Amino acid sequence: MKHLFILLAFALISNSSIAQNFNFGKVSKSELEEKYHPKDSSTSAAILYRNERINFIYSNSDGFVQEREIHERIKIYNKEGFDWATKKVYLYNGNNRESLKGLKGTSYNLVDGKIEKEKLKSDGKFEEAYNEYTNISSFTLPKVKEGTVIEYKYVITSARYSIDDIIFQFSIPINNLDIKIATPEYYLYNKQYNFQAIYLPKIEESSRNTTVPFNYKINTISINEVDVPALREEAYSGNYNNYRSKMAMELTGYLNADKIIEKTFSSSWEEVSKTIYESENFGGQLSSFNIYKDDVAAVLAGVSDDFEKAFLIQNLVKSKVKWNGGYGKYANNGVRSAYKNGEGNVGDINLMIVSMLRSQGVNANPVVLSTRSNGIPLFPSREGFNYVICSVESDGKMLLIDGTEQYSTNNILPQRVLNWQGRVITDKNASSWIDLRANTISTESTMLNVSIDEDFMATGKVSQQLTNYSAYFCRNKYASMVKEDQIKSLEKNKGAIEISTLTIDNLKDATQPIKVSYEYELSDGIDEVGGKVYLSPLLFFALKENPFKLEERQYPIDFVVPYTDKYLVNIKIPDGYVVESLPQSEMLEFKDANVKYTYLLKLNGSYLQLKGQMEIINPLILPADYKDFKEFYSKIVEKQTEQIVLTKA
Amino acid sequence: MPQLKFKLLSLTLFLSVFSFSQSSDVYNALVVPVELKEKANAVVRYQKKTVEILGLDKIKVTNKRVTTVLNKSGKKHVNAYAYYDGTRDIQAMEAHIYDAFGKEIKKYKKRDFVDASAVSDFSIYEDDRVKYLDYIPLNYPYTVEYTSEIVYTSTAFFPSWYPIDGYYLGVQHSDYEIINTAGIALKSKKENFENYNIKEISEHHFLAENINGIKYEAYTPDFQNMIPRFKVALRHFEMVGVKGSNENWSDFGQWMYDKLLTGTDYIPDETKNHVKKITEGVDDKIERAKIIYQYMQNKTRYISIQVGIGGWKPMFANDVDKLGYADCKGLTNYTKALLEAVDVPSYYTVVYGGRSLRDIDSEFSSVEGNHVILCVPNEDENIFLECTSQSNPFGFTAGFTDDRDVLLIKPEGGEIVHTKIYDAEDSVQNTTAQVVLDANGSFTADVTIETTGFQYNLHTGIETQSERDQHLHYKDYWDNINNLTIGQIAIENDKDNVIYTENVKIESENYASKSGTRLIFQPNLFNKVTDIPPRYTERKLEFKIDRAFKDTDEFIIQLPEGLTVEAMTDAKEITTKFGSYNFKIEALEGNKLKYTRTYILLKGNYPKEDYKAFRAFRKQIVKHDKSKVVLIQS
Repeated sequence: MKHLFILLAFALISNSSIAQNFNFGKVSKSELEEKYHPKDSSTSAAILYRNERINFIYSNSDGFVQEREIHERIKIYNKEGFDWATKKVYLYNGNNRESLKGLKGTSYNLVDGKIEKEKLKSDGKFEEAYNEYTNISSFTLPKVKEGTVIEYKYVITSARYSIDDIIFQFSIPINNLDIKIATPEYYLYNKQYNFQAIYLPKIEESSRNTTVPFNYKINTISINEVDVPALREEAYSGNYNNYRSKMAMELTGYLNADKIIEKTFSSSWEEVSKTIYESENFGGQLSSFNIYKDDVAAVLAGVSDDFEKAFLIQNLVKSKVKWNGGYGKYANNGVRSAYKNGEGNVGDINLMIVSMLRSQGVNANPVVLSTRSNGIPLFPSREGFNYVICSVESDGKMLLIDGTEQYSTNNILPQRVLNWQGRVITDKNASSWIDLRANTISTESTMLNVSIDEDFMATGKVSQQLTNYSAYFCRNKYASMVKEDQIKSLEKNKGAIEISTLTIDNLKDATQPIKVSYEYELSDGIDEVGGKVYLSPLLFFALKENPFKLEERQYPIDFVVPYTDKYLVNIKIPDGYVVESLPQSEMLEFKDANVKYTYLLKLNGSYLQLKGQMEIINPLILPADYKDFKEFYSKIVEKQTEQIVLTKA
Repeated sequence: MPQLKFKLLSLTLFLSVFSFSQSSDVYNALVVPVELKEKANAVVRYQKKTVEILGLDKIKVTNKRVTTVLNKSGKKHVNAYAYYDGTRDIQAMEAHIYDAFGKEIKKYKKRDFVDASAVSDFSIYEDDRVKYLDYIPLNYPYTVEYTSEIVYTSTAFFPSWYPIDGYYLGVQHSDYEIINTAGIALKSKKENFENYNIKEISEHHFLAENINGIKYEAYTPDFQNMIPRFKVALRHFEMVGVKGSNENWSDFGQWMYDKLLTGTDYIPDETKNHVKKITEGVDDKIERAKIIYQYMQNKTRYISIQVGIGGWKPMFANDVDKLGYADCKGLTNYTKALLEAVDVPSYYTVVYGGRSLRDIDSEFSSVEGNHVILCVPNEDENIFLECTSQSNPFGFTAGFTDDRDVLLIKPEGGEIVHTKIYDAEDSVQNTTAQVVLDANGSFTADVTIETTGFQYNLHTGIETQSERDQHLHYKDYWDNINNLTIGQIAIENDKDNVIYTENVKIESENYASKSGTRLIFQPNLFNKVTDIPPRYTERKLEFKIDRAFKDTDEFIIQLPEGLTVEAMTDAKEITTKFGSYNFKIEALEGNKLKYTRTYILLKGNYPKEDYKAFRAFRKQIVKHDKSKVVLIQS
């Protein structure tokens, strides 16, 4: 028996070690016969081979032309994988437009033991003008069934020197990845990996000289990898694309014909900051403009405190200029035009705030940063920053503001901004880091009063107070709702509840905590079984399930901001009943008290009183701690479902 | 300053009472009557849509619409966009934006509209394009005046009139008029006029005035079926140069058959011979159809490509044969050709596909539908095939094309028929479980879920997911159980009988909660209703339950040694016109409990007054699904 196993294993090894041929068209029978992926049996498709070649070809008429060649061979295991047989390529259609050339494709099927080929013809190729700046070239391979292998190849050419991101990881596995990026020495690039990715390929660099059509050096980056794992989504990790393995190539400078540096951009964070600042669309927007002069003066009349000025200016901008949804550290329309037309991107709006505050002698500076969806830049790079906000310094204290969202306010910023650190750029020669993560605790305090009537209906009052981000998130959700919808939204997931006399104070005033109060009637919170009464003291506020269901995680859980949820519950014991048993009070701690849970229940005359509290200090729970955290959270859910038993006196 | 503004404001308010038709008022957002603003995100202040019939192949639509947008959600009601392609030409379009006081703040000419491909995300290619207004409002309310002039040369699609184009939209004044210069015979149909304030100025000229916004409520029938509309079609028309007549479904269907389908169904002899071979010796035509359907499913895939006679002509069957992909029309037409090769007649069938039940209007023939399926006539009951699915069982329509009027395109003309209705007995979910509970409140269980009909449709697909996703699925499915661990999973998808069987072994720690010497748990472990329909202080709309179903459950629970039942919730039986519910807990020998439950929900249309009772029914179920058993140390 043991013998047989060794033999089998040997057979398997020898089978897979047959050299595979990745030349176009050389699809093998064994690739077609494969029923599922040997290392990722659940995947619906796999990239057997991906070859990406970037070259710059010189011609006397056009100079250097970038050619990006993609060759992919994909195995489709089942119907869920059919989408991989259709591809849409987005092509830039502005200056130095991109075009797609030399598209060829073939589908391979095994029919009665023979390989049948079917070529991609013009009826499977489509082109359309998507919008002003983008064309789409799409194609779909013929005769795709379960088991089909498809292969395609195309080249994108353009006169651009900027190189699109090199993607190392997709939602299906890659068996063989072969990338070569060859750039002429005239262009200087900086590689930037996504270091949040779990998977990082090995990168080799080399260079060689060419004499055709003249003498220059070609720098080459090569990647040769096997078995790149698929990227899969996990709940509560934010944007999972943040964990995709990829590399950006940023132009940091270029040489002139004599191979002497003509211009450099970013090589250190100081350089990056300087380059950004020197742009007309950045530094050029920070001086004062006549167009807003009178409005600013009117708003700030009689105000001396810098932070108050910042608050008022941000409100002025919010009332005058609406965010058009566009990101960017640079002003798109320019401060003047944005103010005039009442519309702008992030750069227009927040640089406008800096400019207005500076015009009033306030020490205001732009802070460039990378949003949560853009990841974290590890190496100095302009492209790593895609957003800008405004900082104000006064008496050694620092304040951050973002004028793009209605309910953001001093130090309460949109969620997209709360990422790592930003770079304060004071002028072209001075810049420094600043932490962007929320450092104040946001709290939600709830008081719940419960009385139980003869029909075991629970009635009472709820009062809540929300501060900082808890209030900010609440504003974004409830401020635009009419009262009826607010009630409906509050009633959701609370069982058979009816909420009345709802008031929400300060919902639109971001400077104050939100105060919520309402009365409720709950008909399914209390059970009477065999003469005894059962209830869990948190009633409809109890957690119903543990949202962390995966056994393991690759990416951290992100609670976004540090917060505390507090509950104070007062239950009046109905007449004629006494307590038979109570859940035990407990205090739970996770990982050096980073997360704390308190559950203190006691009898106080004819009242039961519960003090509950959940406190999260560092909102990021790392994958290594996940299992423990899942268990910890489970205990909380369990605790909250435990029952109070009352019995007849 | 503020005082002056106030004076001006009150002056306009005063004027407006007398002079609504003086249309400069329609730009002032502050004079919208209060009733129209309630339950509205936008108000159509003024609309005039004129449709001029200039010939069989020419219709000109002139539209002017003034919309006041009250908040962010109201933006979509501005409707300042127009599609165009070879048969739709935008001759003029313009927009003006006004602030709350009616002062013009911005103007857009035709070239200022954004031009884009109308391709949708799911489509690889569509040949139409769109021009739309891209205005970012600075403040609310604001008002947009949009005017356009569009010439249609395909007259099969006649611009009907929908004065209310969505929930939360008030309509102050909306006028629609057809001017039949060419004197071409047309037909029309009025729907739901009776419930709304609509004046009939002449046979083809209507005016809707002061219609309040409609608020969305759960379980509401299709919006399309509630709102007023005036449907129009030319009795003779042209579609991309192809003439046709449309007196009724019979001749309109005939036209579709002759002009859209005929000549598209050729398939190569090789394929014909192959399908003949694989059905050789099978006498029953339905059995042959089954073989062909499976052959087609294994050979093709669905891809959306919208081209050819307004997106209405199917791809040639021999192209589908060669390429192995097509959209719903191409795949249906191809399957039809394959069936023909083995002497099984079938009909190309136009339908509104979707979860909600939408009929092709049997009384009024016009271009309708958004999907195509195939009908195989059969003595007892027509069989309908979904040709875009590579995994559907033969003849299965639940959830997408079931229970609705559809149009058969027969060689002898069109015909309206109704698709299969899945009643409660056809859509069953039967859950059984053997549960062993221990003294700590943890349990292990062996659970089997069997589903048919619409419920089959809701469950199927789990078998193709990865193990990780299957585990996540069951943890979500049983989210009432904390600390759930999923063990072995065995799934059988019996497509012949359309029965989906899932067997799952699970474990949970501390399911039952301890309280002193007691252990308390809910015996309905595996099929709980937790969701109560939303409450409305005063429901405004009738409601509807689209599909019936039946759930049956039987869980045998082995209790831990040394613990006996102290108390448990009494059995309950509820019967209402919406359906019925019952459960009971019985003690079995050997310290076991048996929990049984049946829940039947019926299909039906109900007046709004019944909603409270329906909600009460569901509330009862939620409550009884939380019934408890209390164990105590003996």
